[in-house]
Amino acid sequence: MGKILDGIRVFDLTIAAVGPWSTKLLGALGADVIKVEAPGGDRLSHAVPPLIKGESVLYISANHNKRMIELDLKREADRAIAIKIIEKSDVLVQNMRPGAVERLGLGHEVVTKVNPRLIYVAASAFGRVGPMAGEAGIDPTVQAFCGWCSITGPEHGRGEMFRHLAHLDLTTATIITRAVLQALIARERTGRGQLIEIEMLTAAMALQTTRLAEYFATGRQPDPLGSAAATTAPHEAFECADRKYLAVGVERDEQWPGFCRALRLSELISDPRFSTNPLRVEHRAELVPILAQRFKTKPAAWWTMRLNKEKVPNGPFLRFDELRHHPQVLANRHLVELDTPHWGRLHVDGLPWRFEGTPAGPIEAGGSSGEHTAQLLRELGITDDRDTGAAQ
Amino acid sequence: MSAAGSLDGFRVIDFTQGLCGPFCTMQLGDSGAEVIKIEPPAGDFARRMGPPFVGEESAVFLSLNRNKKSVVLDLETADGRQAAVHLARSADVLVEDFGADGAERIGLGHAQLREANPGLVHCSISPFGEEGPLRHANGSELVVQAMAEYTASLGRIGEKPVRLGADVASLNTGIFAAQAILAALFHRLRTGEGQRVAVSEFGSLLHLRGIMWHSLSDPDDWYGFHLDHYTAPPDYGYQAKDGSLYFILRRASSEDWDRLILDLGMEEVLADPRFGDYGRAATSIGRYAAQVKPIWEKAFENRTRDEIMSLVHSIGGDAVPFMDYPALVAHPQVSALGAVTEIDHSTAGKFKTVRPVARFSETPESIRLPPPKLGHHTREVLAGMIDFDALPKSD
Repeated sequence: MGKILDGIRVFDLTIAAVGPWSTKLLGALGADVIKVEAPGGDRLSHAVPPLIKGESVLYISANHNKRMIELDLKREADRAIAIKIIEKSDVLVQNMRPGAVERLGLGHEVVTKVNPRLIYVAASAFGRVGPMAGEAGIDPTVQAFCGWCSITGPEHGRGEMFRHLAHLDLTTATIITRAVLQALIARERTGRGQLIEIEMLTAAMALQTTRLAEYFATGRQPDPLGSAAATTAPHEAFECADRKYLAVGVERDEQWPGFCRALRLSELISDPRFSTNPLRVEHRAELVPILAQRFKTKPAAWWTMRLNKEKVPNGPFLRFDELRHHPQVLANRHLVELDTPHWGRLHVDGLPWRFEGTPAGPIEAGGSSGEHTAQLLRELGITDDRDTGAAQ
Repeated sequence: MSAAGSLDGFRVIDFTQGLCGPFCTMQLGDSGAEVIKIEPPAGDFARRMGPPFVGEESAVFLSLNRNKKSVVLDLETADGRQAAVHLARSADVLVEDFGADGAERIGLGHAQLREANPGLVHCSISPFGEEGPLRHANGSELVVQAMAEYTASLGRIGEKPVRLGADVASLNTGIFAAQAILAALFHRLRTGEGQRVAVSEFGSLLHLRGIMWHSLSDPDDWYGFHLDHYTAPPDYGYQAKDGSLYFILRRASSEDWDRLILDLGMEEVLADPRFGDYGRAATSIGRYAAQVKPIWEKAFENRTRDEIMSLVHSIGGDAVPFMDYPALVAHPQVSALGAVTEIDHSTAGKFKTVRPVARFSETPESIRLPPPKLGHHTREVLAGMIDFDALPKSD
């Protein structure tokens, strides 16, 4: 059975994480992704530690299911080859600093003349207009700017960054992938390609849609709340007798009576301060101390048993060493192990979707920079007449 | 005047509630699809998330349900289920978060609908995935963040856990669900075949930490932020006199670098190897950034954030302020991008929200309908389809 994006070719002119992760997902859906790198590659993609056998994990992890071609786009002969590949491509994704790709002669206006069916994605940190037009940005700069640190931190404490500095990169990447799929659908119906522009800043704001809604409604900054949710309660971590924290989330009113029974606090079910979610949110300062005291009387394992019986959402705070062997993770292949030719055996993120008709994947390691140059040119019927042998 | 969206003419039947599914289907609606939101007589539980409320409407609910029609059906009754099946037969996409086997129990399973509607794309959203011991378990935003170790990159070891303030388990999964649906629709356009697709919140969050799993595969050294974040203290950026900022040096020349250091009165660092290569390793994710942060902050003590930002910009570096929501929303860059838009609601009045993210030159996304009142479109959608007297009254 074919894959969903069989026959779709992606010209991948991406760097760092945002662009590469978006095309990696297209590759996992079956697209033929050709990643273009200048000789030596870009410093950000290859040098960010940690390294495995000398290669950045950023490069390794964001470039599965692709083939690697080396082109020095500052040279006319290489640019001519790029244009020939773009003629045969369906999608082009680039996330260079605004203006950079235009200077290489591969801006949207130029390449759309060569290939009007091309779907062209220009992704940037802060966009191409406004006082910050053209400014570069990486995950932590967007984190600082987009407001999300201001809602994250200890209860009413100082807002802090998410120290895994990739979440907004990858969020933007997934929105790019979504947009490309949308444009492929549109092209099936209209026959035409188009330009798609996406900024990390807007993507980061969209990811905070629900939290910005609170600010728009009240005009007040929502404070950090530690582990607690702002608009549902009780929905936070409680410390148990064994000093373990248990995450508990009552998001629906119908879960409230079961939660009270699990804690053997049935008198709370009909307490008028707590009978609906809006009331529990309003009276959270009264509710939480009662619950916190209760949770401290028994170990987490007890509360898990009790809450599971009542189908109330709860769970432990896990770490990688527990996750990698977790039966749920293994059963759903959320994490997988992958043997690679260059970097040994890797722990790899599983596919985020499951297709029953046209399975995605398998995940296959990408290559080292330029590894497939000769193979790709041969396959595409492009003569390599460059004077130096970037592509031996 | 408005050009057609990329999903114009597609009909989505949406049984989801809360944050995740509704964020998914809002993206489909923004792209032009007709989204029919099926709600129980009590309404989507997100209608009761809050305060804050805008008039009678939950601000959270309003932010996730534009471009949808609301139809009330009681799936506990045979008539309600029959109407739902009827609608599903007319649909291109069905999205549900009923839980394992939940769709089958009420006659909405993919296999049950396939004969009548072979092109249907059925998307199932679950908290933890469709296999394994937790396939029947309920989830919540915090529970999924905790289990996917998101809290390991926040707060301090040994102290009470801190979650990401944003609802990432829900909203990031909503993006993956939209991808799965779009991919399956594309396949259907080429082959005529529908199929069942599935995503989970746990799987989505674990996927998004993929760089880290790679990092934990025998790295050359235990160094780099994909590993250091587990043990590092909270990061607040760089403190200046009147606020915090974040900055990166990467393109300086030696004159630029000398000027910056002299301007900041930091001459002593010129002999410090940690500040070598024009400070590349001394800021942001550089190797010595955490170690030398107090040295920068000492120099920033008596300078405003704007002064420091212009110094950094003047030598080709990047610098941005740490902002809270009022500062963000008031920032001229946010206005220039039109990132915040306004929707007029019949009872809540005008409210602000984040616009659709992607800008398409040919098939633009658009906001055509405000978030619906509960059951507002029941009659319109079901007209000629079923006996209204048999339906629950809610409008």
